Amino acid sequence: METTHEALLPSVARGDTTAFESLYDRYSSTLYALLLRILSNPEDAQEVLQETFVKAWTNAKMFDAARGSEVAWLISIARSRGIDRLRSRKIRGDRENDAGREISIHSAFVESTTGADKAVQSQEGSAVRSALSELPEAQRVALELAYFEGMSQSEIAAKLGEPLGTIKTRMQLGMKKLRERLQAFK
Amino acid sequence: MTHEEFESIAALDAIGATTAEEAGMLSEHLASCESCRRARDEFAEAATLLARDLDPVAPPPEVREHVVETIAEEEAEEDNVIDSGRRFINPWWLATAATLFLALWGWREFGIRVARENIRTQQAQIEELKSSNALLHDQKEKLSVEMSALAAPDTRSIALAGQQISPSASARVYLEPEKRRAIVFFQNLPSNPKDKSYQLWIIRADQPNPMSAGVFDVAGNGSASIVLENLPVATEMKALAVTLEPRGGAEQPTNTNFYLMGNS
Repeated sequence: METTHEALLPSVARGDTTAFESLYDRYSSTLYALLLRILSNPEDAQEVLQETFVKAWTNAKMFDAARGSEVAWLISIARSRGIDRLRSRKIRGDRENDAGREISIHSAFVESTTGADKAVQSQEGSAVRSALSELPEAQRVALELAYFEGMSQSEIAAKLGEPLGTIKTRMQLGMKKLRERLQAFK
Repeated sequence: MTHEEFESIAALDAIGATTAEEAGMLSEHLASCESCRRARDEFAEAATLLARDLDPVAPPPEVREHVVETIAEEEAEEDNVIDSGRRFINPWWLATAATLFLALWGWREFGIRVARENIRTQQAQIEELKSSNALLHDQKEKLSVEMSALAAPDTRSIALAGQQISPSASARVYLEPEKRRAIVFFQNLPSNPKDKSYQLWIIRADQPNPMSAGVFDVAGNGSASIVLENLPVATEMKALAVTLEPRGGAEQPTNTNFYLMGNS
C-alpha cells in the first residue's frame, strides 16, 4: 500500500535531515492519531510522538524494506512506546485520573497534511476500512483491546467474560483475515 | 510444534498478545525458520491496519519544531564526540603536503561515518537488550505463577481418559477453583494434521452448548500443555472433552469424535 510513496528511511539512515523532516510531515498525523487512541491524553501522546521520531532517526538504518513498509515500521515503534507509557501510567495509578480528562480529539486539532498526502491517505484509508469492516465485531474488539490497550489474552478474556481459548481463537482468526486482506492489496 | 502453530503464535505476537512462554518459543523458532519469519513480518504489517484505520490527527506545530531541534542537537553531540577524538591527531601531519592533507580529510570523513554508525548500532543494541530483559522477566513471572498453581492446597486434579478414537491418550487438569484457572497436560495424543487443531471443550451444567476452553497442537511426542483462565465456577463445569477441529478452532464442536473425555 506504500508503493505510492517514495521511501524516505534510507535517506534518513544516511543522516539526511531534509528527508527526516519529510518523514515527519508524511507520517506524524497517522502516528499521533494512534498515540491519542492508546493514551487518551494529548500531552503524553505528543511526548511519545517525539520519542518515536527520535528513535526513528537513531535506528533508521535498522529498517529493512524487505520485511515491511515504512509506515508499518514507524507504527510499530509508536505503538510499542505508547503501550510502554500506558503501562507505566497504570502502575502509577494515574489512569483513573486521566479518564476524566478524555477530550474530543478530532475537534481539538485540525488536520494539516498536504494535498498529495491526503489523497494517498484517503485512498489507503478506504482500503484499510474495507479490510477491517470485513472482520466480525467480536474479532475486531478482541484485536483492538490487545493492540490499543496492551491487554494480555487473559485480561481480554476477563474483560469480555469469555474463556481464554475463545479469545485466543478470535484473535488468531482476525489476524489471519487481516493478513489475507493485506496480501490482496499488494 | 508445527510451523502452522508457530504462525498462530506469530499472529498473536503482532498485536503483543502472546504469553511470555509463547514469545520465547516463537523467538527461538524464528531464528532458524525463514518461512515463519516471513509470516511474522506479514502479521506485523497486517496489525498496523488497525492503526491506519484511524482518522489522521495533526499534532501541534511545536512538536515538529522540538523533534527537529532534538535531531540537530544529537547530530551536534555526535560531531563533538568525533572532534574531541581528533585532538589527539599530531599537528605535524596537518602541516604536510596538500595531497596528504586531502588523504587525511577523506580518512576523517570515513571515521566520522564509522563513529556515527557505531553510536547508532550501540543504541540499537541497548534497545534490544532492554526488550530481552523484559521478556525474561515475563517468563520468570509466568513460571512462578504456574508453579504456585500446581502447589496450591486447593488445587483439584481431573483426569481425562482416551476414547475409542485414541484409547492410549490421557490428560490431567490441575484446577484452581478459587482463581478459576487451570493447567492441562496432554499425553499420547496423535499428531494433528496441519489443517486441524485440537480443541478443549467445557460441558457446562448451566448451558446447553459446550464452551471452547482453548486450542492446541500436538507434535510428534504426543504431548502438549495449555493454561486456561477465566473458567466457569467449578460447580458449573460438568465435563471436559477434546475434539479435532478446523485449524484455529471453531465456535462450537463440528463433530462428536471425542479424543478425550472426563467428568469434573
